[in-house]
Amino acid sequence: MSVSSQLLINEGSMRSNRAVRRLGKLGLWLNPIFAYFFLWAPIVILVLFSFNESRSVASFTGFTLKWYNNILNNVMGAERAFSTEIMLNAFRNSLFVGTVATAIATVLGTMIALAMARGKFPGKKLIDGLLFLPVVIPEITQAISLAIFFKVAFDWIAIISGERIFPGFHSIIMAHVTFNISFVAIVVRARLADMDPQLEEAANDLGANPWQTFWRVTFPLILPGVISGALLAFTLSLDDFVITFFTSGVGTSTLPVFVYGLLKLTVTPEVNAISTIMMVLSTLLIGISLVLQGRSASRV
Amino acid sequence: MTTHDVELIDIVKDFESGGKLVRAVDHVSVQIADGEFFALLGPSGCGKTTTLRLIAGFEQPIAGKVLIRGLAMEGIPAYHRPVNTVFQDYALFPHLTVEQNIMFGLQMEGVNKKEARKRASESLDMVRLPDVGARKPHQLSGGQQQRVALARALVKKPAVLLLDEPLGALDLKLRKNMQYELKALQRDVGITFIYVTHDQEEAITMADRIAVMNEGKMLQVGSPRQIYERPETVFVADFIGETNFIAGELLERGPDGFGRVKLPDDTVITAQLSGTLSRSSGPVRLAIRPERIGIATIVETEGEIIDPGEFTVLDALLIDSQYIGTDTRYTLRIGDATELVVRVQNISELDSSAIALGQPVTVYWHNSSTTVLDN
Repeated sequence: MSVSSQLLINEGSMRSNRAVRRLGKLGLWLNPIFAYFFLWAPIVILVLFSFNESRSVASFTGFTLKWYNNILNNVMGAERAFSTEIMLNAFRNSLFVGTVATAIATVLGTMIALAMARGKFPGKKLIDGLLFLPVVIPEITQAISLAIFFKVAFDWIAIISGERIFPGFHSIIMAHVTFNISFVAIVVRARLADMDPQLEEAANDLGANPWQTFWRVTFPLILPGVISGALLAFTLSLDDFVITFFTSGVGTSTLPVFVYGLLKLTVTPEVNAISTIMMVLSTLLIGISLVLQGRSASRV
Repeated sequence: MTTHDVELIDIVKDFESGGKLVRAVDHVSVQIADGEFFALLGPSGCGKTTTLRLIAGFEQPIAGKVLIRGLAMEGIPAYHRPVNTVFQDYALFPHLTVEQNIMFGLQMEGVNKKEARKRASESLDMVRLPDVGARKPHQLSGGQQQRVALARALVKKPAVLLLDEPLGALDLKLRKNMQYELKALQRDVGITFIYVTHDQEEAITMADRIAVMNEGKMLQVGSPRQIYERPETVFVADFIGETNFIAGELLERGPDGFGRVKLPDDTVITAQLSGTLSRSSGPVRLAIRPERIGIATIVETEGEIIDPGEFTVLDALLIDSQYIGTDTRYTLRIGDATELVVRVQNISELDSSAIALGQPVTVYWHNSSTTVLDN
């Protein structure tokens, strides 16, 4: 084979290589575009139609804020009565459940994270794995299991004390605490893993007992993680429907449960508007949570 | 009352690693005097840091005793021990200012804020960083953080200061400067320093006494001079500085601490025996420092320069020479297989090129420059 023909072959393979690379580059470009499209298109449509003049989702006839106005001003919708008072009550319920559940879950979750990061005890790996369970098991499974648990527990209490307890805020809050603990613990643990364990030894070395070490060194350093975990927990609590639905009683509907009630009839533009507001609120809280998580542990 | 600041009595410490126990500290006993600069020297994983942590109270020995100023430390937590630590990575509190970092230990003692502030500023003056009190640690350079860590530990006026490779993260030049400063500081404050390092040069230049550790054992404790000149084991001789090892056979031990050793090429020479040499005959190793060997093209054995009774003189062949600035490093061969590294100071420019490769030369050393060690 002559030298020139060899060169030709090399050039040919180089050209096909270039084509493959170009195709690969195009694929890399298209992939996120499709991914984001599927992810965001439904949400964009929801937000868009919350500003639609027309009641129908068939066409966008013009921009309006009247649906937002309706929810805030107790205007009766066309098909059904929309009561702002009931909605605000549901929102208050959501805030109440969210606040209490977050407070409890944050304390317990932080304690678990500390025990996991610093403690040495048998079965630690197993508990570590179990911690992730609420994050991965289907929400409906957790909801049903909690509903059954409360039923059994309340039955037992009725038998022992003769006092009948009905599902209500206490059961919703307990349910929210159970799934929120995991999220708080995971976020705080990440923060703890980022922290130099020598800092605690240094505090010890300088005469701080474990209690002083925790409050003067460990806690200030993991605080961004704790706040971040709390915000995440609050958001999850605010948004939760399935578990709340299965564990709530009479008169304790949260906002998502209320919205679900509206949907039983038809998707009204008011539902779009409420959903949009909830989404903005959640995004905001998660955003703050992420910013706090992202801050480096060495530069507080 | 004892004069020892720190005393370790037969300390043993095991760690669990991958399901099995690893002995980190193996029956270590040592006494460290008041005001001494004591270095724990050894390769990584030799147990020196663990020994330090046992003194600090971060680890508990499974057997043995730690005494600080004569008091048994068993059951006394780190925060009640009269020692302070300078950590390798400084471990400054990132959320506190430099001043707050230094005041931390004083506030734990219950010193009021005004007094603590005054002492913190004195402490910063002492490490020559008077103006950084309001800054956060991450705004300081590595060398400055190191000084702050030192100030934070010294402000507590501990009985003993423990330093865990404190200069390890600094660059070479800064490290050299800090070595002098640390030594001067130790002399000024008069506090006992226990200094962990893997850098033999650092240990030799700074310490009053050095303990060489390997695999959890304290192999030799002594002054830098003793450690360097009179290593007691092959490990110590090898770890500290450069050493030529020549395999030999001990023929007889003399009463004067010298013995007759047969080299691989059957030459018999006289060499000083290590004080801890256990055997009286059989295979041994001869250790000799490269700078203790002289090279000559012509040796005047009859003149005054070399007394054959006190010196060993051997024929050698130059096989390599390496110019390294201050010195020239020659590799020679004596006999058939024994290689010898010789360092000769370049006193004039001519020295480094005086001998040609392949040239037969004579090497000589004083008999006391050698140490005969157990194989």
